[in-house]
Amino acid sequence: MTFRLRTVSTTADGRRIVRDKDVAQDVLTVGRAAESDIHLPDLAVEPNHARIALQSGNRVSVEATGTLGFALDGRSGRSASIDPRTGGELRFGSTSILVGEDGGAVLLTVEPVADKVDGDLEADGMTLASVLPGKRKLAWILAGLILALFLALPIASNLLRSPDVKQSNVVGDGSWTPGPLSLAHHQLEAKCEACHVKPFESVRNETCMSCHKAAHDHAPEARLAMARAEPGVGGKILGGVAHMFGKEGPGACVDCHREHEGLAAMPPPAQQFCADCHGSLKDRLPSTKLGNAADFGTAHPEFSPAVMVDPVAGLSRRIPLDANPRENSGLAFPHKLHLDPRGGVAKMAATLAGGKGYGTSGLACADCHRPTEDGVRFKPIVMERDCEACHSLVYDKAGPVFRKLRHGDLDQAIADVSIAGNTAEPVVTGRARPGDYGANQLYFARFTRPVGGGLVAGMLGKDGVCGECHVTTLKAGRVAIVPVRLPARYIAHGWFDHSAHKQTKCAECHAAGGSASAADVLLPKVAECRTCHVGEQAASMFTAKGKVPSSCAMCHTYHPSPAPPPLARRERRQGVGG
Amino acid sequence: MTSAPAPGGAHTGRKISADREGFLRHRRFRWLKLAALLCVVAVVAYALVDIQPRPNGGSWLGYTLGTIGAGLIAWLSLLGVRKRAMTRGAWSLKAWTSAHVYLGLSLIVVATLHTGFQFGWNVHTLAYGLMMLVIASGVWGIVVYAALPAALSANREELTREQMIEGIRAVDRQLHAAAQPLGREPAELVQAALDEDLFAGSLITRLSGAWRSCATARAIDRFALADANDEAAGKVEKLLIRRKAQLDRLRRQMRLKALLEVWLFVHVPATIALLAALTAHIVSVFYYW
Repeated sequence: MTFRLRTVSTTADGRRIVRDKDVAQDVLTVGRAAESDIHLPDLAVEPNHARIALQSGNRVSVEATGTLGFALDGRSGRSASIDPRTGGELRFGSTSILVGEDGGAVLLTVEPVADKVDGDLEADGMTLASVLPGKRKLAWILAGLILALFLALPIASNLLRSPDVKQSNVVGDGSWTPGPLSLAHHQLEAKCEACHVKPFESVRNETCMSCHKAAHDHAPEARLAMARAEPGVGGKILGGVAHMFGKEGPGACVDCHREHEGLAAMPPPAQQFCADCHGSLKDRLPSTKLGNAADFGTAHPEFSPAVMVDPVAGLSRRIPLDANPRENSGLAFPHKLHLDPRGGVAKMAATLAGGKGYGTSGLACADCHRPTEDGVRFKPIVMERDCEACHSLVYDKAGPVFRKLRHGDLDQAIADVSIAGNTAEPVVTGRARPGDYGANQLYFARFTRPVGGGLVAGMLGKDGVCGECHVTTLKAGRVAIVPVRLPARYIAHGWFDHSAHKQTKCAECHAAGGSASAADVLLPKVAECRTCHVGEQAASMFTAKGKVPSSCAMCHTYHPSPAPPPLARRERRQGVGG
Repeated sequence: MTSAPAPGGAHTGRKISADREGFLRHRRFRWLKLAALLCVVAVVAYALVDIQPRPNGGSWLGYTLGTIGAGLIAWLSLLGVRKRAMTRGAWSLKAWTSAHVYLGLSLIVVATLHTGFQFGWNVHTLAYGLMMLVIASGVWGIVVYAALPAALSANREELTREQMIEGIRAVDRQLHAAAQPLGREPAELVQAALDEDLFAGSLITRLSGAWRSCATARAIDRFALADANDEAAGKVEKLLIRRKAQLDRLRRQMRLKALLEVWLFVHVPATIALLAALTAHIVSVFYYW
């Protein structure tokens, strides 16, 4: 085996000149020295750089003879062994020597390699920057899109909208909503500008009041301002931010009625909302008649029902239950007498049981106290329905007809009673009178008990048909009945739903069975309510079983209204306790 | 590796060893501790403060967390400016990077609590999502920077990038010479392999490492079917297999590099997008106030 040296050179006009030379040597030297077999006039090549030798097994060995190495197929080294049939490319400086086979000889093609011109480009190709748009470009595109869609578009659309809310149509501000509106405001979902009227101006009270015309103030503004507690650190921060950015308040609608909190009914205010002011109200507002209240379970004043003190004038006064209030409703009604299961009343009721619907074991509460349709309270007591079955007003009988006094009309009753008996058949009728006086004339006589003033007096007397229950008085010089004023509601500013307490017997709260006088106020004290109802905080801390967490909103409303308070409304909706 | 003394001050041994500390363990995890403290304070405040009707960004705690979060985001995004000036000392670039990493991670807690866990299809959640994307890409960046350089260096077997390319070019020249005796069809296959752009892979190709439609692989498949006695074809096939081996190494290198670099292509643009979304978030809140 021999070497065949093929030298390739390129002329100035790009023509390739190829010269072949067979060398009958086993070893070839490579270097810059002129006597080298392969002479490479390149300063990057050493004078005696390497030697290429034929090896046994038809291989070619390459050894570096100087201090510098060479590259084989791009990899640097100092020695290599090449199979000419497979081939390989040696690299010395800027010259490549291709090792191959040509007709039984080892072909060494010596060719200068052009300097890398695309090296940098290729190096860049390794990085991701070569296939992705630049980071800066990407960043600007994304930021521009976001600013255009989520800032410029809604603002421009908002500024150019029609001043009429019904006509206006702001585009793109849907992306601004921090959360769905509550059920009550759900229809305003796509109409941000209905509430957010002016840019950078918080939602105004007047905007709320343009629909909620009937919302009443909690108390006069000046008193509210005095009553308001100094906020804590957090409240001060919030107030500071609110003030800095021109929010109304404190006490603005939006301070309490937080929107965008989800598609549900607005939650009832937490106890703390009331307790902030009412917990220490007396300290700041000494003139208030209200006791401090912070938690139903631990800090709530005794109930002060409006007790009727003067039924003639219709005057009631709020007296705390612990001050043992006495009521004067104008009616003498001892509950004990009526509810005693072994008393006369019970017997009477048992006698009447079938027809009037009374039970056989005497009177029950429900026989007289009939719930209203909503079950919250009770219908007024009606004499004809609730009393008359026993307390009959019949005073006479004419044939099959019973004559009855007219309840509620004393003058008529007196008139009726005055002639009672006179209508009966006279005992002696049309008989000629004997003797001198009025001889030959007919006379009529009635030999019954004398009637008139005596009967009326009896009727109105303490045991009479009226006086048994009623008190008489004089009105404009005439005898009159003191009007009966049974309050439908003792606690006007506190909500109590009887229907939510159905599982409890009446007597557990109302001690009627032992009340011998109508002057007793048969209301439970706050302590009795607390056997079941605990404050909001206590409930969340201990979650006592069977206890009902009761925040202020269960019984009270902030805006005076005849409607049930928020928590009671919610519980009614959810059927809690119903 | 000893660094030359800094001008104007001798180096003590302690300082040199401190310099070897990575940015993650900088000053015994000083910024990790500070960031953890920030998170704990935020979580405790969130748990203790009773916001009515439910936690939200518009409460005083929400404002506080939001302000801290926005301040952090603005400061964190300044690393891009800060990194172009390397300095030493307490406010060295390393300290800054350490703080960047740990305070950036603390944003997960601060910003999530700021939301009060209220999310929706709106610009506010967009800002939050972008922020989480930026943080996730940053975490990915730290992970790959810890794991991949070793693999990268093992794959290249002490070859420089240029040597790797030059190696393929060397085989290419041999292929070109060896393919001269071939007929039109096989020559075209070889030409297609030679014409192949070494760096043509798209982002997906590079990340997955699945280089489909590789002309070299196709040529190898076809040459495998060639007549075993055809010496020229056999030689070309061997060269093609060699080319393929080198190409595979180059592609592995490109895959590792792509995995190493891709996080920044998310991290940086998403940061700028986040700044835009954050602006829209804040302005919109006060616009519809």
